[in-house]
Amino acid sequence: MSRSSRRLVSVLAAATVVSTIAACGGGDSGGGGGGGGGGGENEASDIGVTEDSIKLGAHFPLTGVAAPGYSEIPTGVQAYFDYVNENGGIYDRQIEYIYRDDAYNPTNTSTVVNQLVLEDEVFAIVGGLGTPTHSAVLDFLNAEGVPDLFVSSGSLLWGEDPETNPYTFGWQTDYESEGKIIGEYIANEFPDAKVGLFLQDDDFGEDGEAGIREYIDDQIVAAERYTPGNTNVGPQIAALQAAGADFVVGFNVPSYTALSQLTALQLGYKPQWFYSNVGSDPNLVGSLLGRFSQGAVSDASLLDGALTTGYLPTVDMTDNPWIQQFQEIWDASGQEGELTNYRVYGMAMAYTTVQALQAAGQNPTRDGLVEAIEQVGADWEGPLFAPFRYSEESHMGTSGMTIERISGNGSEEVQPVRITDLGEDISEFDGEATTPPENGIPEEEAYEG
Amino acid sequence: MQQFVNVTLTGLTQGLIYAAFALALVLIWRSTRIVNFAQGSMAAATTFIALALIQAGYSYWLALVVSLASGFVLGAIIERVIIRPVEGGNELNAVIVALGLFVALQALIAIIFGSSFQSFPAPFGLEGFQIGGNRVAFTPNSLYIFGAVVVTMLLLVALFRFTRVGLAMRASAFSQEVSRLLGVKVGGMLTLGWGLAAVVGSLSGLLIAGGGFVYPAYMDSLIVFGFVAAIIGGLDSPIGAIVGGLILGLALSYISGYAPRGSALVTISALVILMVVLLVRPGGLFSSTTARRA
Repeated sequence: MSRSSRRLVSVLAAATVVSTIAACGGGDSGGGGGGGGGGGENEASDIGVTEDSIKLGAHFPLTGVAAPGYSEIPTGVQAYFDYVNENGGIYDRQIEYIYRDDAYNPTNTSTVVNQLVLEDEVFAIVGGLGTPTHSAVLDFLNAEGVPDLFVSSGSLLWGEDPETNPYTFGWQTDYESEGKIIGEYIANEFPDAKVGLFLQDDDFGEDGEAGIREYIDDQIVAAERYTPGNTNVGPQIAALQAAGADFVVGFNVPSYTALSQLTALQLGYKPQWFYSNVGSDPNLVGSLLGRFSQGAVSDASLLDGALTTGYLPTVDMTDNPWIQQFQEIWDASGQEGELTNYRVYGMAMAYTTVQALQAAGQNPTRDGLVEAIEQVGADWEGPLFAPFRYSEESHMGTSGMTIERISGNGSEEVQPVRITDLGEDISEFDGEATTPPENGIPEEEAYEG
Repeated sequence: MQQFVNVTLTGLTQGLIYAAFALALVLIWRSTRIVNFAQGSMAAATTFIALALIQAGYSYWLALVVSLASGFVLGAIIERVIIRPVEGGNELNAVIVALGLFVALQALIAIIFGSSFQSFPAPFGLEGFQIGGNRVAFTPNSLYIFGAVVVTMLLLVALFRFTRVGLAMRASAFSQEVSRLLGVKVGGMLTLGWGLAAVVGSLSGLLIAGGGFVYPAYMDSLIVFGFVAAIIGGLDSPIGAIVGGLILGLALSYISGYAPRGSALVTISALVILMVVLLVRPGGLFSSTTARRA
């Protein structure tokens, strides 16, 4: 079913604008910019790379049930790439970024990724969003040898097994590690809580549950699952209430945070809520809940006091130098709307992408890009709280998380960054907080092998 | 016990919503003998009109009236302009046209109103009633839905049973030629049938949206359940639509609440229930005549 939309139109328009810029940028792009280095000539070194451009693709839900919030991510990515392009691009190449709507439907994802790879001939896919959606194209991208960078999902699928999926890399903290850090926190701080789990019925919920059960299996009194698309969660919330859960951990998407809050309000159910990072954006949930009548629900205050996790600075941290940098870039980009946490996510991922492209060298190849991330990706500094785990054996992204308490439209840290890895214990992160480079663009050296 | 009560009440409220949608299908079937697949998109369109008014600061009730009126106009126009040319031909033609309309309208909504998720206000409270120290899953808004659906059903029954217009509508649906010979303005009746069905459809769209979230495709899942409810009830009976909706709502809620991984079984269960009902009573639970066809 084809759903055209205003957004899609603007996406196409944006893509056209970028290609125009790219076309014009070729002649006079000698001035400054990230990357620098390399004495040789730019060559069309692989599919999607020309002397003066490099083409990247992505799939996002721009419409449908997963669109709230997530549809903003590519606008952040776009803003950051535009900024890099204005400052000379990468090795004098302009980044062309094309993203397409899959409406969070795996069938659509296959179609649009086919289009990106075979028709648009992108060099790499960057930040494709969603576990069920991206799973549908995992085999295809790896069979075609298309670098599949920084999937916007915390499933273990992307990084656990680089032998099977050599071209795919995770980016955000995986759900199992997140579950472990949440479980440990509950075991320490709420040892008497009767814990109920509210889980999306797929890998997202399963990975989170596996992690959390490593620490508080005996505290869990109920685990309820919802199916995305079925908006009636009444029976699930009623079951958690009936099981006597006084502490509910949700591994769910933002619209289901709103639905679970509405249903709990209806039932007069008031446990301590803990939403995993994915579903906890207070601004978004607040705006979804904000407009109901009767004063029964008023903006974000419904989420006040709920706990969540963090691995990236958020927009309310106005003192954070990364947020200040991203705010400047966003304001200068001239796109509609405010800087949101989803746009910060997009910009941070775009930042890592630029690091990867710089490391891949002046004339990048698809295999060279993968090798560069494996060899030097773990050393990159960026906006994330903790480093990536990239190596030849692991393509897992970052592993660190803070625990935060939501208050108003922001949050307060209640536990500093702790890190872990699959099959390992949790430990305190002893690294320093990073600051952005002066012009906001990384300068990674080319990895020569 | 408390869980049982809440799961039951959730099921009843959902069932009423399915019933509201099924009523619109029954109405259009009775008056035109067409199964209108575009009903969901038509209801979504008028709901977005209402939302635009509410967001512009007008009251819910004004938005309700405007939305029902625009539903009537939309239904009538669609019948005159789009359905009329294929009426009376092969039965499939009208169905396929309705399906095309379903997709086209949804796209149009996205173009006009955008495709983002938005909350839709409810006219009454969303906190459950307090009974014996416990809140139960039945809210003032559920009560409103209940009242609206029952009143609509009674009005429809009265229309078809006690008024000349209702009789004329049924006659024109049953046999156009005979009705024409008897002096019934068949064309007008068909337009009126579509208009009225769209009014009921708009109402169901608003009831479903209230206290929830809307986006252009928000009716999609309800279309399936609404059809199942209508067919369980017999497609010809307003009371059957209500009973079908309630049976379906309750059954799905129990499955969702008590079966392991119940939420994932909901859609499939609806189809199993449909198959069982059709095997036992092919005409639906409330079919008065056997397989009457226009």
